[in-house]
Amino acid sequence: MIQPFTPEPIRYVAEDGTPVQPLPARFTPELLRELHGLMLQAREFDRKLITLLRQGRTTFYAQSSGMEATQVGLARSIRVGHDWVWPYYRDHTLGLAMGVPMFELISQCLGTNSDTCRGRQMPHHFAAQAQNFVSISSSIASQVPPAAGNAMAQKYLGVDEITVCTFGDGATSEGDWHAGLNMAGAAQAPALFVCENNQWAISTSIREQTASETIHIKAKAYGMPGYYVDGNDIVAVMEVMTAVAEGVRAGQGPALVECLTYRVGSHSNADADAEKHYRTREEVEEWLGRDPISRVEKLLEKLGHPVSAEERAEIIARTHREVDEQVLRAEATGQPDWRIIFEDVYADVPDHLRQQEAFLRAEQSGGPA
Amino acid sequence: MTATQDRQEQGAVGRTRTINLIQAVTEAIAEEMERDNRVVLFGEDVGARGGVFMATAGLQERFGKHRVFDTPLSEASIVGAAVGMAVRGLRPIAEIQFADYMGPGFDQIISQAAKIRYRSAGQFTAPMVIRTPSGGGVKGGHHHSQSPESYYTHTPGLKVVMPSTPYDAKGLLKAALRGEDPVIYFEPKRLYRAAKGEVPDHDYVVKLGEAAIRREGDDLSLIGYGGVMPDLEKAADALAAEGVSVEVIDLRSLVPWDRDRVLTSVQKTGRAVLVSEAPRISNFMGEVAYVIQEQAFDSLTAPVGQVAGFDTPYPYVQDKVYLPGPNRIVAACVQALNY
Ligand SMILES: Cc1ncc(C[n+]2csc(CCOP(=O)(O)OP(=O)(O)O)c2C)c(N)n1
Repeated sequence: MIQPFTPEPIRYVAEDGTPVQPLPARFTPELLRELHGLMLQAREFDRKLITLLRQGRTTFYAQSSGMEATQVGLARSIRVGHDWVWPYYRDHTLGLAMGVPMFELISQCLGTNSDTCRGRQMPHHFAAQAQNFVSISSSIASQVPPAAGNAMAQKYLGVDEITVCTFGDGATSEGDWHAGLNMAGAAQAPALFVCENNQWAISTSIREQTASETIHIKAKAYGMPGYYVDGNDIVAVMEVMTAVAEGVRAGQGPALVECLTYRVGSHSNADADAEKHYRTREEVEEWLGRDPISRVEKLLEKLGHPVSAEERAEIIARTHREVDEQVLRAEATGQPDWRIIFEDVYADVPDHLRQQEAFLRAEQSGGPA
Repeated sequence: MTATQDRQEQGAVGRTRTINLIQAVTEAIAEEMERDNRVVLFGEDVGARGGVFMATAGLQERFGKHRVFDTPLSEASIVGAAVGMAVRGLRPIAEIQFADYMGPGFDQIISQAAKIRYRSAGQFTAPMVIRTPSGGGVKGGHHHSQSPESYYTHTPGLKVVMPSTPYDAKGLLKAALRGEDPVIYFEPKRLYRAAKGEVPDHDYVVKLGEAAIRREGDDLSLIGYGGVMPDLEKAADALAAEGVSVEVIDLRSLVPWDRDRVLTSVQKTGRAVLVSEAPRISNFMGEVAYVIQEQAFDSLTAPVGQVAGFDTPYPYVQDKVYLPGPNRIVAACVQALNY
């Protein structure tokens, strides 16, 4: 039994890699290495995508560096392709770890013809049907009430799926967030709400965001358990998340998990100078010291199964190679043409849209408007 | 005010400086905060960060955290709190980070801000300004490019403004802050740095509800507001090269809007083309077109033309095709001229 409402975040591994409580048996060196590989891949994906941004090949990117344990841990705690996920825009690491092909993620970021969402949304707003990874909305917390509804449908249909809904700390201030949790609580729907508390909403710190001591205690008001987890400790994230997810699946009602983590980079490319404006270098350094990837490396070393420098370099090189390849592959598919403006607005296209489409076709082919 | 009057007025009173539209917004806020200590400014990231577009840069340093502050991430809280503050005697400026995110604050805008004067017979009022960047052309996809002004022009009790020049941006914001009504003040984000122009050194306001005639002409009235205005100018240039004399009108305010200036112009030219980038159905320009046909029907020599956004969500790729550019505007004008 995992304890809800603990005053301190639940953790298994300290910053220096020492286990602070017995490691659950499933965390074999093999599993830990696999998780480490996924986290490192995600970090390098960030690095490469920022390069693409600098090259002007994409126009927006929101890093998840520093938050890998939270997202990878969550991905590995649910039944991918069976459970449903309502993510937010910083969740590409969650997507990668759930097995969304890198080609799809990159195509979306580049808005190429290979984008399964056809270039409609700004970069970094994925959707992946095979993984039940529902389309991301930029509008903060707007995914929370629909996630509650998704879970209500699962209960109605009597399926053993659960609904996962993720969001940042800032999102918990929106009315939609409260409406969604309250609804799920009242309906006792199988929803797992996950706060990726990276402590900043652009330039607003969690202390300015809410007078509440933590996010997870807000669960109390909605009649569900709230769990507080060290979001940079992948063992803790997976242990708690798996147990909570299975409880939700077993019909115990919704739950909220707060993963305390940190975004070490900027909010997005529109905010490249975070430290100049609103936060201190010391704070960033402090959190770099709690890095989720090096924590696993230190743990593996203590367990006598260190990740060698060559293995590390291999993962990095492979990721860089793969990103480069997928970028070229995606770019080769070209840009969607003007027709994407009109498709998928409605299931049955009304007359006025047909007329507007005809107008644009004439204009684009240089004919009479 | 005509283009000539505009220049004369500025020339007559003294010195001017050239600034861009976002600087005009910042200056208007700073000067009004200086003038009136009831003015407070808040929203997401407006403080230390200075706003995501830097419209409020330096203001927290200058006026203190009690007058310029960051809020929790909740538009309902921001707008609702502004209403409460205004009722209690402050002059709040609430920034909504993108017009696309007014959604969560919509109920507070239409149920509280817009109606408190009417339902209390003036016992309680909410003089306040909601500032927000709007419109496309910045590669933002639908969540950072929409033009939602018609939701608000459709709500009695709200005034709705959208400048396209630094002069107007400053003068209209000051007027909005000195008025007694809630004002939705849309800032066309693609003009933030692109629109440069002169503003006088002295204090001035631009009255809400007066259109500006950007250039005078005899053959056709080309009417728009906000982010599309530079395209209207380009279209007018292109038509001038063909010998067509176009009158270009910038509405500046949508509620209230300048029926007189528009009707006078159309009565002179006999043709009107209306331009906005918002989707066409229930577009505010539909109201302008209606009034033109109702009040100036006898003067019209061609149907009123309209260039608008398509009735689709704003796309990320092909966003330039979505926007009505100069070519589409010229084509609509040619159609009206050849009718
Ligand atoms: C309704 C709404 N308001 C404002 C914004 C602009 N905005 C984008 S991200 C962001 C901060 C979000 O912070 P948080 O929820 O903590 O997530 P994080 O980015 O820190 O992961 C804001 C204010 C938005 N996208 N949606």
